[in-house]
Amino acid sequence: MTLSLQLEELKPANSEASAIRSTMEKFKIQTEKLNAWFGNNHVLKDLSINVKENEVTAIIGPSGCGKSTFIRCLNRMHELVPGARSSGAVLLDNANVYARGIDPVTVRRKVGMVFQKPNPFPTMSVYDNVAAGLKLNGVRDHQKLDRAVKWSLERAFLWDEVRTNLDKSGASLSGGQQQRLCIARALAVEPEVILMDEPCSALDPIATAKIEELIASLKSQYTVVIVTHNMQQAARVSDSTAFLYLGQLIEYGGTTQLFENPKEELTERYLTGKFG
Amino acid sequence: MFPLASILFEVVRNGLPAISVGFLTNPTGNITDPGSGIGNAIEGTLILIGMTCLIAVPIGLFAGIYLAEFGDNKFGRTIRFLNDVLAEFPSIVIGILAFSIVVITIGHFSAIAGAAALSIIMLPIVTRTTEESIKLVPSSIRDAAMALGIRRWRTSLSIVLVTAKDGILTGIMLSIARISGETAPLLLTVLGSGFFFSGVDQPIDALPLRIFTDYKNSNYPSALAQGWGAALVLVVLVLSLNLGVRFLTRGRSTFARARA
Amino acid sequence: MARLMDIGLEKLRNMVLDMAKLSEDTVSTAINAYVQGKDLRDRVYGWSEELRILQDEVSELAIELIARYQPVATDLRFIKSCMEVAYGFSRFGRYAHDISDVEGIFGDLSTCDKTAIVKAGDQAKDMIRVSIKAFTERDIQLASKLKTMDDVVDSAYLEFVKKSARNPGGDLRCTVSATLILRYLERIADHATYVGETVLYIVSGERVARK
Repeated sequence: MTLSLQLEELKPANSEASAIRSTMEKFKIQTEKLNAWFGNNHVLKDLSINVKENEVTAIIGPSGCGKSTFIRCLNRMHELVPGARSSGAVLLDNANVYARGIDPVTVRRKVGMVFQKPNPFPTMSVYDNVAAGLKLNGVRDHQKLDRAVKWSLERAFLWDEVRTNLDKSGASLSGGQQQRLCIARALAVEPEVILMDEPCSALDPIATAKIEELIASLKSQYTVVIVTHNMQQAARVSDSTAFLYLGQLIEYGGTTQLFENPKEELTERYLTGKFG
Repeated sequence: MFPLASILFEVVRNGLPAISVGFLTNPTGNITDPGSGIGNAIEGTLILIGMTCLIAVPIGLFAGIYLAEFGDNKFGRTIRFLNDVLAEFPSIVIGILAFSIVVITIGHFSAIAGAAALSIIMLPIVTRTTEESIKLVPSSIRDAAMALGIRRWRTSLSIVLVTAKDGILTGIMLSIARISGETAPLLLTVLGSGFFFSGVDQPIDALPLRIFTDYKNSNYPSALAQGWGAALVLVVLVLSLNLGVRFLTRGRSTFARARA
Repeated sequence: MARLMDIGLEKLRNMVLDMAKLSEDTVSTAINAYVQGKDLRDRVYGWSEELRILQDEVSELAIELIARYQPVATDLRFIKSCMEVAYGFSRFGRYAHDISDVEGIFGDLSTCDKTAIVKAGDQAKDMIRVSIKAFTERDIQLASKLKTMDDVVDSAYLEFVKKSARNPGGDLRCTVSATLILRYLERIADHATYVGETVLYIVSGERVARK
């Protein structure tokens, strides 16, 4: 089913149709001249990227180009690092998340994140892990929690594997299962955007394939931004791709077009492996 | 290994004959009384441990959490340094301090003075182990919680602290084992007594004190036997605390066990 | 720094260039045989068969490169183009084969007026040469010339057909054989323009709309 979904996306749109489409499509996130620093190290330079709603957008680029820093600016996690700062605007549904008076916690509830190494809370059970976001934000109703946990685990393609063992420690699952658990945990707080920082780099190919299927199924309901150093993965799962190099946006476009016929020389060199 | 084995052997050999139910529950009273036991010493040690924990654990936890979460500045570094100094302080000097502050004020030796001295000894250990246990919690756990939109303080309490609890508990239990055997400060603060607990502002007995007193009276054979018995009980107490730590951290990841 | 895939790409390129040379020779031989009335069918048939085999090999290698290296961008476009161009060269061989067939079917054609075919044939041979050069050097300018050259062959074919329709009569054998050959030359010219179009695709990713 998911393969035909992706083939649907691969149909070449002639330029007229896609121009009309893009003005009609909504942008879920728009960054305007986003800059970020770690101390005096200028890591992101004037990034202006528009992420379309209900699409998977991949951020690719060589190590150190600022991909992870970029998405951490989208949910205001960047500022948690001592000495880190940023400037510029990040618009979520046309509202700047960095505006004065905006509580970063509310941003993070709308914009969830999944990390490179699966990090379930080690002292908690599967159930408690998924419910953590809700419980620790004040939800007490047990039925509501039960429903939320079941729904999230189903959505993350993990329910069938853990339904009889919800009390087992989160850390006792396999790597791929742990990562799906982390995704379920993020889904439970009902975000609108899901950020993924190289979610499959610690996983084997089969677990990776499961997660990629999951990502494809998520985009109907959420907007997904995925950072990956694996170009083939970006080519497989994403609808749009942004190529970053040394903190700057080099090229951004539809995945098929970018991988078949990139406009920039630098993009071409990176994609064909000609980087030094 | 060998010194430990030989100590254990001697203590068991000499102390075991003295053990009996009466021995463990009767007060000492007069050392020459026939039913003289170490019940009050055991009770005293337990009460002192309880009082010390009541004082040192909350302060130590608080300080440890503060240092781990917010201690990356000059103030934090100073506190940490002073903490380390205090941890290495000679316990008899701490005893003198407690004597001059508490005993003089109250007018006589008391349990509370002993607890004061012991808590000064316990506090830096709890602080240090709490801080280190919290620091051992991987930042990825913290990141995951923050990314879920959980507030900073909630994250520290419900996620980080809970994850670190094994390490913290270990630290507390090991510091209890340490203070159960402290003798010097007790000499200057609680005096010891032949009777059961009679109030926090009254003198109290404790196992190490009992051992010392029995040594002083060792020309009485019953005192000598009693001393060995008390030593055995003390060793059993300390060993079981250590074994308890082992048991608690069985099968856990290394960061719970690294605290030792 | 050479990539793993570069060895495969080099091999692919060489195979395609070999096919190019062979197809050029095959077509030239077939046309010259007709014009000069020689019987070189065996040679042409042999080369045409070889071209077909080479086209299969190019296809195989292209698929292998795609499966193993997951090429993107220019590499991907190049591989795809090689497959298309190899097909074009094998068609040259096929049409040369067909031209030689005409001789076999009609026998002695020495009395026929071959001027139209000589003209169209020379143009077709030139177009093959230009398309190969454009492909080898990825020269878009050269490739764009092929469109106009194609028109010459197209009009030669149409002219002849119209003329024959208006003035039926004369040796039917000459008329039919010449029509067939001009038709084959027209197809050869078309395929040569397709080769030119792939050059544009490799260099810029643009596709020319097929008429």
